[in-house]
Parts: sequence; structure tokens; C-alpha cells
Amino acid sequence: MHLEPSPSVDADLHLANRLTWGARPRDLERVRELGEAGYVEWQLDHAAVADPIVDRFLTEHPVLLEDVRGLRRALDEDYGAVYHQVIWGRLFRAVYSERQLFEKMVEFWTDHFNVPLPDLVPEKVVDDREVARSHALGRFRDLLIASARSPGMLIYLDNTFSNRDHPNENYAREVMELHTLGVDGGYTQQDVVEVARCFTGWTLDQEWRGAFVFDRNRHDDGEKVVLGHRIAGGRGIEDGLQVLDILATHPSTARFVSGKLCRRFVSDDPPEELVAAVTATFLATDGDIRAVLRTLFTSEGFRAARGTKFRRPMEALVAMLRALSPGVEVRDQWAVTWTLERMGHLPYNWFPPNGYPGSADPWFNVNGLLQRWNAAMVLAYASQGWTDGAITLDLSAVIPDAATIGELVDATWLRLVGQALDRGTRTTLLAALGDPRPTQRVTQEFRDERLPSLVGLVLASPAFQLT
Amino acid sequence: MSRRIITPPPAAHASGCTEYRTFEQRGVSRRTFLKGMVGTGALLLSRPLFPNLPFVAFAQTPREVDTLVVVFLRGGMDSLAAIVPVGEGAAFYDRRSQTAVPEGRVLDLDGFFGFHPALGRLQDVYRAGHLAVVHAAGSPDPSRSHFDAMEYMERGTPGVRVTETGWLTRHLQSVPWTNDSPFRAVAMGTLLPSSLQGPQASLALESLDGFELSVPDHLRPELEGGLRELYRSVGAGSAFEREAESVFSTMRDLRRIAADGGLERGNSGSLGYPETSFGEALRQVAQLIRADVGLEVACVDLGGWDTHEEQGGVEGQFADLLAELGAGLAAFYEDVADRSNRLTVVTMSEFGRKLEENASGGTDHGRGGSMLVMGGGVRGGVHTVWPSLAPGALDDGDLAITTDFRDVLSEILVQRLQNPSVESVFPGYRANYRGIVRPGA
Repeated sequence: MHLEPSPSVDADLHLANRLTWGARPRDLERVRELGEAGYVEWQLDHAAVADPIVDRFLTEHPVLLEDVRGLRRALDEDYGAVYHQVIWGRLFRAVYSERQLFEKMVEFWTDHFNVPLPDLVPEKVVDDREVARSHALGRFRDLLIASARSPGMLIYLDNTFSNRDHPNENYAREVMELHTLGVDGGYTQQDVVEVARCFTGWTLDQEWRGAFVFDRNRHDDGEKVVLGHRIAGGRGIEDGLQVLDILATHPSTARFVSGKLCRRFVSDDPPEELVAAVTATFLATDGDIRAVLRTLFTSEGFRAARGTKFRRPMEALVAMLRALSPGVEVRDQWAVTWTLERMGHLPYNWFPPNGYPGSADPWFNVNGLLQRWNAAMVLAYASQGWTDGAITLDLSAVIPDAATIGELVDATWLRLVGQALDRGTRTTLLAALGDPRPTQRVTQEFRDERLPSLVGLVLASPAFQLT
Repeated sequence: MSRRIITPPPAAHASGCTEYRTFEQRGVSRRTFLKGMVGTGALLLSRPLFPNLPFVAFAQTPREVDTLVVVFLRGGMDSLAAIVPVGEGAAFYDRRSQTAVPEGRVLDLDGFFGFHPALGRLQDVYRAGHLAVVHAAGSPDPSRSHFDAMEYMERGTPGVRVTETGWLTRHLQSVPWTNDSPFRAVAMGTLLPSSLQGPQASLALESLDGFELSVPDHLRPELEGGLRELYRSVGAGSAFEREAESVFSTMRDLRRIAADGGLERGNSGSLGYPETSFGEALRQVAQLIRADVGLEVACVDLGGWDTHEEQGGVEGQFADLLAELGAGLAAFYEDVADRSNRLTVVTMSEFGRKLEENASGGTDHGRGGSMLVMGGGVRGGVHTVWPSLAPGALDDGDLAITTDFRDVLSEILVQRLQNPSVESVFPGYRANYRGIVRPGA
């Protein structure tokens, strides 16, 4: 699906929507207050952004801060409860964190270094914290090393059982194909074999299998050649570290990661000049992710790409929840996670190592569209008790008062979409509300009966699916 | 890569459910709500959709064309362990100490090959002559990347990454009839596979059940009209308009089918479909076939074949997957037995696995794989130009490929689906037919 840029999208709204999980009115105000560059800088320095709601959430969900051992204990007591806290923790932070760009980058790296949650709950929680969350806006090299040592990754891609007699190629292949060089990055099957040999011995402790150890007895310490680099024999963990160094600094990696960032944050088909510029920053800064994003977000290519990204299902749902804040409250997370499951985008539930698709094509289908409309409608009708209290919505805290129906429609669109409503869409929305005269006064009955329909339609509209 | 698990763990599942069981409010039935918000794999397994069989004529599809069901085994299926080359003797067994079924336990096919015992449920179909086994099949592109290899197969152009449409899309575009049924091409699942990407409207359906807009009934016409108009106004002929129209036509047709008496579930409960998303997907494809809604091609996935670790032998994770595959295909075939003369099922996987096991009791990515072809028009038996496992015959140490996957697919498209220009489906390729299927009437 090719989406033409929409110049009518407001530039500030574009920035706010791309750097957040869905721009709320105050996100837009913040962009206007700080200016584009100022807003980017503010979000890039994520540690300086206070995040009291998330801090409180973590205090109330301490299991998310446990190590592998503590998580295993908690899982033994109530597996389902922990499993769903982990998924809800992902969604909660996307909706409520003030460190919005950080959370979007966490999502990016979660897909990039995919480790699925089922069967690996303790390891995944630690992986999330020590890989994506520790280095989301740091250096690519640190991310790569953290991932290579992560118990979740070591188990998921089988390196934990690899040994000198039978090196397992799974991690060796994916670290080059998916994490660094890309499939066209210039490696061969022989490189896969050699890299697998380098990583023999990278495994878990024998006692409780929850921490990385290097086991020299399993390591193949013969000489190897990786991507033309001779790796001397007789060494240990240095072999794998050298491979990660070769990969982290390889031009193909800069190109591959930069291209993927441009596809995620600019458009499914980003301009070549932009990818080249972002790649150049990646190479010049030794993979400083902040610098890379600075180049990306302040580029002309980014500015021009308004309205060209189709929100992935989780992005759409989170954006709906943000649009309805502060009136919406999720009291039973099931109402949200089941919807995502039906859309095929339950967090941490993608099983192949390439992560959930980033482009629109696989997501843009009949099932996905209907489920998205239904999420919008059910959320809107939560205001009328539709979810039996699983989700509560007070629309009076979201949609401002208006004297006439025409004004109410305008105000609703402005509030939820972030910019003014055009005439044609206004006519369409009025028709769908029973075709009242725009000058008709808003009654309580209209607010009860028709306002949820209006909110549902706006959240289900094409304008809301695009950023 | 682990197994795809659709439904979250049971404990929390049950507790999450209880609240909704009591739900009934303001004229919005619990069922309407369930459709919108909480319908899950677990729920849809338990309920019949619609009680009886309707007849709805949509299609202008010629009656003599087969429905094609494509089962993609994602992850790289170990064909050497599934269709065991017993006749190779030590050349095979010496390399497979943990992942090979011993000779005495395989289900003999032709004296040389034998099925893994977990495929036992397919034996009847094989004996009836409705199952063809094509070993040493695959893609000529040597990529051992899952994603490249799958894309090459599903786009139908090995080695060419820029192909914008899938092979099934090009098939549907190149046949001389039209069919405006929304069910013409259906992928069971939440994502549209690459084989169906492109301008031809295709349906990704997570479930036939609950395919309905969750709005209050008395406002439905206005809200549906509003959505339709919102999506139409994006631009005539846009992807938005097309997909939105497809949502409405799918809802409309499912309603009409339901009103006419519903999709027949028949005796499918006793057929032994696996209680998994794969089993449920096949069962729903069978429902669509029996409902005569104009289905021409259906795609079903079964993932989890990337067995780098603890693959198992006679028993274990690989055997369990094979059992799910075999039971699913056998149950499906029985379910649509009266229509088997107008049905072809083909399985494919992105590559096979290495001849030599790894240290983890598993197998790494290899070359040659296999395809199974099932249907009333199939010439049953083993159709294989066996390259042998002798050292000189191997391709980079692994099973070589002697049948291009496009040979098998071309033959099916031309002989069973009446495709008149298969060269537009697989551009630049001249297929070599193996006599796997009989020409359709």
C-alpha cells in the first residue's frame, strides 16, 4: 500500500504523532512551546523527563523489577497473573509514560531483537529491562552486546546449547541477518558457520540457568575468519566480542539499522537521501542512537512524510486510549489485550525472530480493519457501560461542551484527531448521527446516545489510522 | 523459534472471562460485546457458528475449477525426518542419531520412503491414492534465511525480492473469469501472507465467527453508512476504500449465509481436527467450501518447524507438530470428502533442514524439503527424482533439490485450476510437470 503524503496535516501534529504513541492536546502544546528541535531534544534526554505515573505503576507491580529467580518464584505462585502484568506493563507504559519517544524506541528494539514471551517469561522480563530499556537511546554496540548476553536471547536462538563439536547456527545467522548486517549485508554461509564457532561457550550458568556465563570447555578456540577478519586461535570470550565489534561497526549495519529506523519513523518507502544521511550519522557517531534520531527527525524527508504511516494495531489502540485520556480508565486489562490478540498484535507474542511487521501491507486487511473499528466503537461505548466496567469512560472529561451539534462535531474531531475538521467529513459525520441540523442544540439525550457514536466514528476514521 | 500459542495461559484466561459472562446491558447483548472485544481463539473453538447449510450463489467461477488450499509450514520443515528415506540406510541413519525414526517404526510408502508414524492419520488418504509425496522439492535460490526463502516462495520469484504481488494474487488476476465474492481468496489468520499481497482483494480472517461491527443495533445502518463514507472519501479506488468495502461485503455475505440457515458444521466435531488454531483454520476453510461462497484459494499456516533444538525422534516436539499436521489434513479431507474431486491441497515450507544433526538434538537450516499434494485429482504415490544422500550428490552438504516448487504449483494451477497463462504467475520460468495431478474435466 502506497500512501501519498498529506500536506494538509499540521507540521507540529505530525511531529507529535510520530514521536509519541498518539498526540494528546498537551503533547501538541508542548511541541508548540519548545519548537520542533526543542521537543526532539526534550524527548531524547528521556532520563530527565519525570515519569511519576509509570514510577507508581512499577511500585504497584514490583514483579516487573524482579530478577529471573524472583520471577520464577512469582510464576510458580500465579503464572497467569504475572504473564498478564508483563503484557499490561508494556501497554501501560506506551499509554501513560511521559518518555514517549523512549517508549517508541523500546518498541522498535523489541521487534529488532525479538524474543517472544510465552515459555520465556522470566528471561523476557529481564531481557526487556537490560537490553531494550537499558540502551534504547544509547549506543547500538551496547544494545547488541546486551542482547548477545541476554538469557532470553541465548535460549530463544539456541546458543545456550551450542558447542565446539556441533556449533548451532541459529543465533549466528540471525545476529547478522536481522540484528546487524541485513540479509544483503555481505556475509556468506561460511561466515554463519564461523560466527557460530566464535559464539560456542556463550551459554547460561549450569546451576539455575538464569545468568550469562562463558564456558571455556564448550568453546571452539581454533582460528576463524569472519567477514574477512582473521580471529586468532587460543582465545575465549574475546572471539564473540570481536565478532560483535566487527558487526556493530560494519557499514552494512549502519545502513540496515538506519533504513529500518526510517521505515518505522518516516515512511514504508523512505527517500534514499534520507536513509543515506541517517546512515552517515550512524557511522560518524559509532552508532549513537540519539544522534541518529536527531538527524532523522530534523530532516526534510521526515517533515515531508506527513500522513504516510498506517498505525500498527497496537499503535492504533494505544493512540485511542491516549486520545480518550483523561476520561478513560482500563480497570480490567483483558478488555484491551484480547482485542490486540484478535488483531494479531499482542505484545511480545511474535514467534519468528524478525519481530512484528513494520510496514502497513500485512496489517492492512479486512480482519484488521474490522477489529480496529470495533476497538474504537467498544471504547466509545464504554461510556455507556458496554464493557461492564472493564473499561470506564467519562466523555465529559474528554469532549468539551458545545452549544450546537455542529460545534460538538467540530470540537470532537479537533480534540481526538488534533486538527480542524474539513467540510466533507463534517457532512459525513452528521449524516451518521441521524442527520441533525448543525445548528440544533445539544441535548443530554444527544450526548448520551449519539456522542459515543461520534467518538467511535472519529477513532475508526482513516484520519486516525494515519500519522 | 517456538510454537505459536494463540491463547494466553488458562488461569488468568478463566478469571478474565467471568466478568463478561454476566454482561447484558442497554440492548447490547453479551454476544455483541463478545464479538467486539473479547472473542478469542478459546471461545470460537467451542461454539457452532450457524446451524444449517445455506446455498448462496456468488461466484462466476466455472464449476470445474478446484478450490486450492495452500498450507505453509513456517520455520523450515525437516522433510528427512517426516518422509524418511529408509532406503538410504547408513548414509542417512549415521547422521541422524536422535532425529530419525528407526526403520522398523516408519510407515512404509513405497519400499524406499516411509512416513514418520506421527503422520499415521494420512495413511488412509495415501492408500486411497489421493496423496502425492514430492520429496527433494524446494526453491532454486540457496538462501537459508527464513524470511528471504519464504518471500521468494510466496512471491513466486526465487532470488527476486522486488516482486510486488504474490503468486496466488497473480493466479487470480490471470484467470479468464471474474468472481466478486469477498471469499474468493481467504487467508486464515490475522495477517495477509505475501502470496496474497497485491491489488487483488483478499481476505485475512481470524475467524468466521463474530465478523460483525460492534455497535448498537438500532444505530447500525447509520454507523455503517458513516464508516463506508469516511473510507470512500479517502479517494476513489484507494486501498482504504477497497478494504472497507470488503469488510462490508464480507459482513453482508456472512449475514446472508446465516439468514439462509448458516454454515453447516456437520459432523466436524467427530472428525478429530486438532484443537489448535491450525485445526480451527482448516475447519473453517471446510465450512467455506461447503457453503459455496465462491472460495477459490485459501491459505493456512502451521508454524513452529524451526527445530534447532530438541527436535525429538519418534516422539517429541517435531512428532507433535507432524501429528497436528497429519490430523488436521486428514480431518479436513474427511470433512469435505464429497467435494474432494474439486479440491487440491498443497503443503510447502521455505526449506528443509541439514542432513547432519547439531549439538542441541536439533537440525539447522538445510536445502531440499518436500511438498504434499492431496485431492481427488491427485495421482497418489511418491513423485520424487531422488538425488540420493551420497556425498557427491549433496548440495553444500545437504539434500539437493530436484523438483522446483514452481513445477508442482504450475501443474496444479494449469491442470486443476484452469489457469491459461501460468507464465504470468511464475514469470520467466518454464515448469517441468511431474504428473502429480490429473487434468480436470
